[in-house]
Amino acid sequence: MELTKEKLLDMYKTMVRIRTFEMKAAELFAAGKLPGFVHLYAGEEAVATGVCANLTDKDYITSTHRGHGHLIAKGGKIDLMMAELFGRTTGYCKGKGGSMHIADVDLGILGANGIVGAGQPIATGAGFACKYKKTNNVAVCFFGDGASNRGTFHESLNMASIWKLPVIFVAENNMYGISNYQKNHMNVTDIADRAAAYGIPGVTVDGNDVIAVYEAAAEAVARARKGDGPSLIECKTWRHRGHFEGDPQVYKKPEEQEAWLKKDPIPRLEAKLIELKYASQADLDAIKADVQAEVEAAVRFAESSPLPNPDDVFTDVYAD
Amino acid sequence: MAVVGIIANPASGKDIRRLVAYGTVFDNQEKVNIVRRVLLGLAATGVRQVVYMPDYYGIVPKALDGLSSQHHLSLEVNPVDMELTGTQIDSYKAAVEMNRLGVGCMIILGGDGTNRMVAKGCGEVPLVPVSTGTNNVFPEMVEGTIAGLAAGVVAGGRYCGSLAVHPTKKIHIYKNGAPVDIALIDAVVLKDTFIGSRAVWDAGRIRQVLVTQGEPHNIGISSIAGNLEPVGIQERRGLVVEFGEGGITLKAPIAPGLIQPVKVRSHRTVEIEEVVSVAEVPCVIALDGEREVEVKEGDTASFRLTFDGPRVVDIKLALREAVARGYSREEQVTRL
Amino acid sequence: MAQMTYAEAIRDGMRVEMKRDPNVYIYGEDVGIFGGCFGVTAGLYQEFGPERVIDTPISETAIVGSAVGAAAAGLRPIAEVMFVDFMGVCMDELLNQAAKMRYMFGGKARLPMVVRTPCGAGMSAAAQHSQSLEAWFTHIPGLKVVMPGEPADAKGLMIAAIRDDNPVIYIEHKQLLNMAGEVPEGEYVVPLGKADIKREGSDVTIVAWSWMLQKALAAAEELAKEGISAEVLDPRTLVPLDKEAILKSVGKTGRLVIVHEAVRTSGFGGEIAAIVAEEGFDLLDAPIKRVTAPDTPIPFSPVLENAYLPSEEKIIKAVKELF
Repeated sequence: MELTKEKLLDMYKTMVRIRTFEMKAAELFAAGKLPGFVHLYAGEEAVATGVCANLTDKDYITSTHRGHGHLIAKGGKIDLMMAELFGRTTGYCKGKGGSMHIADVDLGILGANGIVGAGQPIATGAGFACKYKKTNNVAVCFFGDGASNRGTFHESLNMASIWKLPVIFVAENNMYGISNYQKNHMNVTDIADRAAAYGIPGVTVDGNDVIAVYEAAAEAVARARKGDGPSLIECKTWRHRGHFEGDPQVYKKPEEQEAWLKKDPIPRLEAKLIELKYASQADLDAIKADVQAEVEAAVRFAESSPLPNPDDVFTDVYAD
Repeated sequence: MAVVGIIANPASGKDIRRLVAYGTVFDNQEKVNIVRRVLLGLAATGVRQVVYMPDYYGIVPKALDGLSSQHHLSLEVNPVDMELTGTQIDSYKAAVEMNRLGVGCMIILGGDGTNRMVAKGCGEVPLVPVSTGTNNVFPEMVEGTIAGLAAGVVAGGRYCGSLAVHPTKKIHIYKNGAPVDIALIDAVVLKDTFIGSRAVWDAGRIRQVLVTQGEPHNIGISSIAGNLEPVGIQERRGLVVEFGEGGITLKAPIAPGLIQPVKVRSHRTVEIEEVVSVAEVPCVIALDGEREVEVKEGDTASFRLTFDGPRVVDIKLALREAVARGYSREEQVTRL
Repeated sequence: MAQMTYAEAIRDGMRVEMKRDPNVYIYGEDVGIFGGCFGVTAGLYQEFGPERVIDTPISETAIVGSAVGAAAAGLRPIAEVMFVDFMGVCMDELLNQAAKMRYMFGGKARLPMVVRTPCGAGMSAAAQHSQSLEAWFTHIPGLKVVMPGEPADAKGLMIAAIRDDNPVIYIEHKQLLNMAGEVPEGEYVVPLGKADIKREGSDVTIVAWSWMLQKALAAAEELAKEGISAEVLDPRTLVPLDKEAILKSVGKTGRLVIVHEAVRTSGFGGEIAAIVAEEGFDLLDAPIKRVTAPDTPIPFSPVLENAYLPSEEKIIKAVKELF
């Protein structure tokens, strides 16, 4: 597998950007500065990053309620994201969507989504559009282990497989559907097994190893671009935090959490970068400092942005 | 009292070769079905005790759970006491524990990768490897029932002798002079920097291969040897192949459905106990189809071929011998 | 003008747009070679080929959900859901995705999609294949709801629905499919949100849509014989609703009867009555009357189904009660 130093460092920066954004969101939420609720992606950065590193702005993704990571990895602008979390007019959705509905259609981001599993048919439709228009683009659908129990999962994988649509279904298996341990919500452990039911490839990869994710996604994306149809990639991963901020996580075993924190994808990539002499600790620290400054600037942008006008409630319901 | 061990790897048969080649998604429910038949086969030979590797899927408990009530087993089935990691280490740890418990035979559900891990811990216990992986040279494509029957007759030691259990070869891998790992079938030097998604499917990246065996009917990297100068499982030699321009091009099924042209620069026989050095560094070394060892700039690496691999049951021979000794006649079936 | 059935008019509207815009395609269950459960898409598969007239698996969720994705990615899907009764299966895709995407994204998405679906009783199809569920969709801001009551409107509203950049629920009535009428040829557009006075009158306004429009017209004919001049107004689209036209007509007649086939409680008639009560109370000389189906599931036996359905007689009776 070819992975240049630049690409690896780029992926590292993306992962750090996601983590920094999320930890900042956690801090702001705890301080009562963000309305509503937030579901954070910390711990799962390697999945979004490794997959999106294979995509262009013309490719589509659908995201989830835990969507910040996907958006950042797909090129979403963190100042506009942060402003949306603050409910400001400068936010991605002018303060009408919030954390769970951020989208950037121009970047092919068809939205985070508050309904578990809803992205699956939407990505299928976007993949259909790519094929219909003969554009060579693909659609990636991110979803969790919980969402693979929705009827949308079955209908979408079935439809995508019949029509050989360029859709990559990326199951982020973080072992819990909210609080429900995977063993209690599905009778198979590897979501990839379910690919067999649709006659498509299903692979399981270490979702905390960005290189493994990148490699599997590269093959699946190439396959989709060639017209060979959809794939299912299962990434085994772990959310460091609760389902939502404020979740007491009584359902997680402390030793399980501890074991998974040791598999944190970011230090793993750091070790690799240093070992390969692609970066020194000082280089990595500089990247982190850069990103920290970006995130702080995003917060300043958000906080200094105007609040919506109450009359804005009436606009954007229908297109003219 | 004969005890049989079962190691069923829930992670086998799901790697990236489903995407880059035509590997089957080997779902765990199918492994459950196989184990069910294995258990019935074991019970029929009079085995009463089975120990198994616990796993995140629960293959063996699910197999038991799904048995029809009319096929109630007279078996005592228990997990070995071990902590699960959810990684390939589990297969190794289970084998160590089963060896310690003195099982008479181990049935392994997995591919070459799984058996490699088992081989590190199984000691002298004979194996019945059942193919459920992707690159399967070491295990056999065998019906679960038959695997259970064969393991049962071997474990008892009553129906057949050591004739039906044969030794195998092994490759020891050294990095900077220290042993780091082993392979049962092939050690492959790749022009790669990362382990990544582990599997090997791009023949263009192979620099050097050492095989313990290789037949034209094999699948995987060892098939290159098979298509060049076959090496039998019992032959006291291996083959080292170097890749690159200036030699011949041949085709070999290096992954399921993937029959690729490979450029062979040279090849030669390797004797037992011979050491082969890895010529190109840095590299990644894949063992039995999975990228495992990263060799950095400045490191050295070498391979040593031995004949001290795990002992494997010849299923056909074992059952024939057992039949000759009357195991299949109803009145003679006794509890072991 | 050509003579066409309502079904042919719908098909002609789709054909005109498919010829004009390559991004328009049709998909749904059995819409291809079979021509649709009620034959509405007959011949289009042969005309436009399997790339544009596509049979789907029985997967309403994926049909409507993928229409959302395809529309967001620049296509103009016409999805067919075989019976409006099946919309429950894909309701999330309409309720939480199609209807809200534009708003949630701060106005940065366009979802030009049409979901075509047949409604209505009258063929002993019983409780799961006969309903009139338009009020469900009118209750979801972000959707438009179209219900043609005659062939020409069926075509003109179809073209408008396809050209609209919003998700449009286009509900066609099974009892009207074979109704023939004059239909303009070519690109005939009936704008969404514009009601039509189907019969002028001066004594009472009857607001009715879909199949009930025809019942109302027949009732008006009978009433005329008895000296009551009924004006029959078809809103044609419930969202957007042409409330000015309704208020204007009530201003002229002073009386209002609303007829719909859907069940009474929380039916769209209640909404129209509320609008007139709020904004046109002074225009009324009598209480507002509704003629609707009762609050029961739809029965199977023709005797029961007839008892269930609003009829010409029930409309006439309601009108007479106002005098």
